Amino acid sequence: MTQRNSTSSIGWLDRRHALLLGAGAAASALAGRAARSATAPTRLEITPGNIQPIPIALPDFVASGEAETAHDVTQIIAANLQRSGLFVPVDPAAYIERNPNFDYPRFPDWRQINAQALVTGRLSPDAGRLKAEFRLWDVFAGQAIAGQSLSTSPENWRRIAHIISDLIYARLTGDKGYFDSRIVFVDESGPKDRRVKRLAIMDQDGAQVRYLTRGDDLVLTPRFSPTTQQITYMSYGQGEPRVLLLNIENGQREIVGNFPGMSFAPRFSPEGQRVVMSLQQGANANLYVMDLRSKATTRLTDTAAIDTAPSYSPDGARICFESDRGGHPQIYVMGAGGGVAQRISFGDGIYSTPVWSPRGDYIAFTKQSAGKFAIGIMQPDGSGERLLTEGFHNEGPTWSPNGRVIMFFRDPGGNAGPGLFTVDVTGRNEQRTPTPSFASDPAWSPLLS
Amino acid sequence: MRTGLTISCAGHAAVLLWSVLALVAQPYHAESIKGLPVDLISATEFSQMTDGAKNAPPTEHPKPVADKVAEAVPVDDPTAKLAKKEIKAATDALVHEPKPPEPKVKKPPQPQAATDPIAEALKKDEKPEPKKPDPKPPTPPKKPAQQEPAPQFDPRSVRALLDKRDSQRVASAAGNEINSTASQGGPGGAARSLAGFAGNPDGLTDVEKAALRAKLHSLWSAPAGMSEHKGMTIDVQFELNPDGTLSGPPTVLTRGDGPLFMAASDSVKRAVIRGAPYTMLRPEHYEAWRVVQATFDPSDPL
Repeated sequence: MTQRNSTSSIGWLDRRHALLLGAGAAASALAGRAARSATAPTRLEITPGNIQPIPIALPDFVASGEAETAHDVTQIIAANLQRSGLFVPVDPAAYIERNPNFDYPRFPDWRQINAQALVTGRLSPDAGRLKAEFRLWDVFAGQAIAGQSLSTSPENWRRIAHIISDLIYARLTGDKGYFDSRIVFVDESGPKDRRVKRLAIMDQDGAQVRYLTRGDDLVLTPRFSPTTQQITYMSYGQGEPRVLLLNIENGQREIVGNFPGMSFAPRFSPEGQRVVMSLQQGANANLYVMDLRSKATTRLTDTAAIDTAPSYSPDGARICFESDRGGHPQIYVMGAGGGVAQRISFGDGIYSTPVWSPRGDYIAFTKQSAGKFAIGIMQPDGSGERLLTEGFHNEGPTWSPNGRVIMFFRDPGGNAGPGLFTVDVTGRNEQRTPTPSFASDPAWSPLLS
Repeated sequence: MRTGLTISCAGHAAVLLWSVLALVAQPYHAESIKGLPVDLISATEFSQMTDGAKNAPPTEHPKPVADKVAEAVPVDDPTAKLAKKEIKAATDALVHEPKPPEPKVKKPPQPQAATDPIAEALKKDEKPEPKKPDPKPPTPPKKPAQQEPAPQFDPRSVRALLDKRDSQRVASAAGNEINSTASQGGPGGAARSLAGFAGNPDGLTDVEKAALRAKLHSLWSAPAGMSEHKGMTIDVQFELNPDGTLSGPPTVLTRGDGPLFMAASDSVKRAVIRGAPYTMLRPEHYEAWRVVQATFDPSDPL
C-alpha cells in the first residue's frame, strides 16, 4: 500500500497496521504470560531425619605464649564434642590446611576432607589474664556462624574450653550445652566390706577431682543447689542419718533442720531456697519441705507409706516422688504444696528415684523388673515410657543441665565397685565417666556460667 | 469497514488484556497424572522410549488419537479445547509467535499456535513414537478438555496454519517427544511454559526424583532436638545449573527464629550444598529440575 485508502483504514489504522498492532499485543501478552508462568519447581519431601554426628575439624588453637595450654584447650573441646555423640572430630592427620588463618580458612581444603564444621581459635595473655577467641565455620556454606572472645584468669583455662564447647554445641544442635558443669558424687574406695565413702566433686569430663569430706562419715545422695555453691547430702554421722548443707567454696557445713528420726533424700527447689526431703516416722516416711532461711518446715504427704526421693519440676510447681502406698514403689506427681498425688508409672516392676529433667519434658527413673535394673524416662503424665539402658544394678539417674544426657551409676557386683556412666536421652551413646576410684550417686550441677 | 476493524481490534485487545490479567498461569500440576503408572515400565523400555524425555505409559486412551496425525480433529480437539479454555497455556506456548489474527478464528490465534507445533511435530514424528506423544498432548489439556468440547475450532483452519507455521516448538517437538519437550521446556525455552501440556508436571522421571531425594536424605543430619519439637519442618529452595551444580546458595523458605531453628536451617542448607553436583538429574530434563523445593521433615527418628 503506497497510500492510505480511506475505505480500509481508520486514520493511521489501516489493515496492515491493525494486524501489526494485534500481533504486537498478542506477542506482548504472550511474553508477559510466559515470563510470569515460572517453571513449576520440583518438590520433594525428605523424611525422616537421621541424627548423624557432624564431622568437625578442630585444629589446635594458636597460642602466643602457652602453647601447651592451647593444645590442651583444643583437646578438651574435641573430647567434649565427641563424648556428646553428636560430633565426630576429624582426625588431625587428615587435615590438608595445617594452620588455618584464624579469619580466612581455606574452605576447599576442609571440604575435601568432609569436615562440615571447623573451629579456629587463638589464646593470648592479656594483662595477666588469659584471652581466648574462636570462630566456628560452616565449611560448605563458607562462612562463620559463631565466634566469641573470652577472658579469664589463667588457671581457669579448662573452663574456657568447656564454655567454647558449649557455644559450638549450641550453635550446631540448637540445644544449650552442658559442658561447663560439675558432677558431685560419692567416691568409694577400699575393700567391699569396708568401703570408705567420701563426697567428691569434679568437672563433668572427669577432671579436677576434689574431695569434700574426709570419709569418716558415710555420705549419700549429694545434690547440687541450682543457684548457689552448695550441696545438700545425707550423712550418717554419729547417730542417725542427717541432711546436711555443704558450701563448696568454704567447706562450711550445717545441718538442715533438726528432725527427730531419719531424714534423707534431700533435693533443692529450683530457686534454691528450699530443700525437700523425706522424714521417717516410725515405719513410714513422708515428704517435708524446709525453707532454708526461715527454717519453716511444711509437711507435704501424710500416708501410711514410704514416700521418698522427691524431685521438683523446673518451674517449681510440682514434685514427683517415689511411694509404695500402692504396694510396690511407684512414681507419683503432686503439687509442690502437697495435696493429691497422681500415680504415673504403671509398667511391670518397681519404679524408684524419679528425677525431673531441667527441661521439664521428662522424668528419669530407675526401674527394677525380673531381676534387671534399667534407667528409663517417661513424660510427666506417665506416657512415653522408654528404657535407655539395662543391666545389673543401674541406678540413680541425674540430668545434665540441658536435659539431653543422663548420668547414672552401675554396680557390676562382685568385688568390683560401681562406676559412673552417661547415656543420651535417646538411649544412644553410653559412655563411662572416668573417676579415680569407684563412684556412685552422681548429681549434675547446673551450668556454671 | 472502519467500524468493523475498530471493533475487531478493540475486541482482540480487550480479550488479550483480559486473558493476561484473569487467566493467571497456574503450573499445571496435574495431580492426577502423578498416578501415571511409570513403574509399569522397566528402565530399559523407558530409556528406549523416551529419548531422555518423559515416559508415556501407553495406558492412556488418547493414545490412538494421536496416532493418526492426519486426524487433526482428535489431536487438535484437546489442544483446541485447551486453547479455548486455557488461553494461558496457549499463549505460553509461543512467546514470540506473532499470530496473524485470522479473522475467521475468532478466538485468539495463540491457541492455534500452541497446537501448531504439536500437530506439526505429530506429523513429523508419527512414525517414531506414536505412543509417546499420545498421552502428552491430551494430558495437559486433559483438564481443560474435560471441561467441555470447543466446537468452534475448525481443524481445517488449523491445518492451514500448520503448513505455514514455522514454530520454534519444532525444535523441541522434533525430538519425537512432544510431551517431553512440553514438560522439559525444550531448548527454545518456549516449551517451559507448556509445562501444563506435559504429562508429568515436574518433568522429572520418578527414578531421578528418587535418586535426588535419597541423596539429600543421606546427607541431612537433623539436629537432635528438631524431631522433639513437634511439627518443625524446614522448606528450602535451591536452583541448579545445567551441570547439576548450585547456581546460588539455597534459600530457606520457612520462617522461624531461635537457636533450634537456626541449627535446623543450617543443617538443611548444608545438606543441599554438600549434595552438589546433582549428577543424577538428566540434562534433558533441566527445565524441570532447575528449581527444586524440598521439605525436610525429621518426623520421629527415635
